[in-house]
Amino acid sequence: MMGINVKIWLIIFVPIVVFGVSLIAGPRMINPFTADDISREILISIRAPRSMVALLMGMALGASGAVLQGILKNPLADPYILGISSGASLAAALGIMAGAAFVGTFTIPLLAFIGALITGSIVGIMGWKRGGLWPERLLLAGVGLSFLFSALLMLFMSISNDEGLRKAMLWIFGDLSMSEWSKIPYGIIFVGIGILISLSRAKALNALILGDELAHSLGFSPHRERFILFVSVGLLTAASVSLGGMIGFIGLLVPHIVRFFLGSDNRVLIPCSALIGGALLCIADIISKSVLPPMELPAGIVTAIIGSPYFLYLLRRKNVLSI
Amino acid sequence: MSLAAIACAEAPQRIISLAPNITEVLFALGAEDRVVGVSSFCDYPEGAQQKPKVGGLSNPSLEAVVSLRPDLVFLTKDGNPKAFEERLRAMKINTVVLTARKISDLPGGIRQVGTAIGAAEKAERLAADIEKRIREYEERGKKLRALHKTSKKPKALFIIWPEPLIVAGPGTTTHEALTILGTENIAATASAAYPKYSIEEILRRSPDVIFIGKGNGMDKVADGLLQRLKSVSAVKNKKVYYVSDYLYRLGPRTIQGVDELAGHLQEL
Repeated sequence: MMGINVKIWLIIFVPIVVFGVSLIAGPRMINPFTADDISREILISIRAPRSMVALLMGMALGASGAVLQGILKNPLADPYILGISSGASLAAALGIMAGAAFVGTFTIPLLAFIGALITGSIVGIMGWKRGGLWPERLLLAGVGLSFLFSALLMLFMSISNDEGLRKAMLWIFGDLSMSEWSKIPYGIIFVGIGILISLSRAKALNALILGDELAHSLGFSPHRERFILFVSVGLLTAASVSLGGMIGFIGLLVPHIVRFFLGSDNRVLIPCSALIGGALLCIADIISKSVLPPMELPAGIVTAIIGSPYFLYLLRRKNVLSI
Repeated sequence: MSLAAIACAEAPQRIISLAPNITEVLFALGAEDRVVGVSSFCDYPEGAQQKPKVGGLSNPSLEAVVSLRPDLVFLTKDGNPKAFEERLRAMKINTVVLTARKISDLPGGIRQVGTAIGAAEKAERLAADIEKRIREYEERGKKLRALHKTSKKPKALFIIWPEPLIVAGPGTTTHEALTILGTENIAATASAAYPKYSIEEILRRSPDVIFIGKGNGMDKVADGLLQRLKSVSAVKNKKVYYVSDYLYRLGPRTIQGVDELAGHLQEL
């Protein structure tokens, strides 16, 4: 058996390698050292920002999934369960439908981000009772809002003959192909802040999972910690949806895969879920752009197709099953 | 009921069209007054917007159709559900299902509609005119190819939507128009009709001309894409054209759509 330190070093190493491969691989291979003008342009202005976005999105989803499963004490929680993504999609779809373009190409991601934050706040308000956030309330408020927003989206879809709305659907299903450098600094800031907040509260999250009373006796204020962690999840989800729409699987199953190998200590789980999530989305994107050139497949579908069988295999092989 | 039987019977007086392109054909054949219902997508010509709506293409309302007491309902094989047509037939309502998919099927489709509504002569004239114009465009296409001495066809790309990038692939009317006009659609090898296309591959294949179909706020959205494609020869040489959406619909206006592309290709 490998020691846990070796495993962690491996997990840090993997995304770096994957990022390198993602620059070389694509519809056609590019050798960075003998690249001509077009290849260099493709490398710098298309592949590099796209892979950066894939890494950032995957990191945000992996980390927020791990945190959310902890605060909700529910193995089925994923960043989309709180309705944040539905709210973001609704805002983005309305923006696309209205032809909004007040800040150019930033408009739609910005609307998605605002939609996500508003939804997150509503979920927070709904989940708030007697001076704190309650996991069951959060979960049910999220599910309820998620249904409401999806239904509204469907309603607009079915009463509108507008082409734009059908295109909005494509956006919602996750698209990395339009990634540009200009959005990456914002991505790094929000994903970075989100991951740092959740890492700084990782010990508290460990305690929360043991139960509010135990957490309290260990010196943590359960309501306060839950609130801080909830804010970090909201930031991470909002950032990931506005970077590239909705990508399933990563937020739900990557934390479980990491737990199979490294256990449930959130100080390890959160960063490793982020790294593995980032690497997985990057791998999925390499596949999605390479298998059927000149066509591209939606990265979210590829993620689930390669990830789910592996998850099921692990589920049969491993004994441990906990949050 | 077979087509011939319909033709022999009296011309239908209460017609419903469940597809926008058929509605356009019906209006072009002067059957406007006999159309009693259309789909909610039938927006052209203007008169079609005033007709009672019976629902969408994939989800027309059976009740709405039946309550208009039609004596003939037009459907398309690609756009409308087969089960809906079966229900109508089971209720003894006459139906005609059009299968036309390609520009070369269009004259035949128009004749079929004409025969069904007792306007065969008018349909023949319209169909023959379209056939003649298709032949003219094919001739022009040959000339365009001859102009390019390199014996290579000019490369073209038709963008349906810029973000995410959806283009016209094989099997679409738009692709067919590009082919007839003597260009090579760089999305011809894609494995879907409306593929999500790789931006890398556009940079590599560097099309000589890019068409962008008009849509909601398209110029603003497309700006971002064109910015990224600035090293492509079509963008460098300002051969990017915004064109109408006539080609999206296989009907009388399709030929106008081809004409539009042909006009721009002359500037190459």
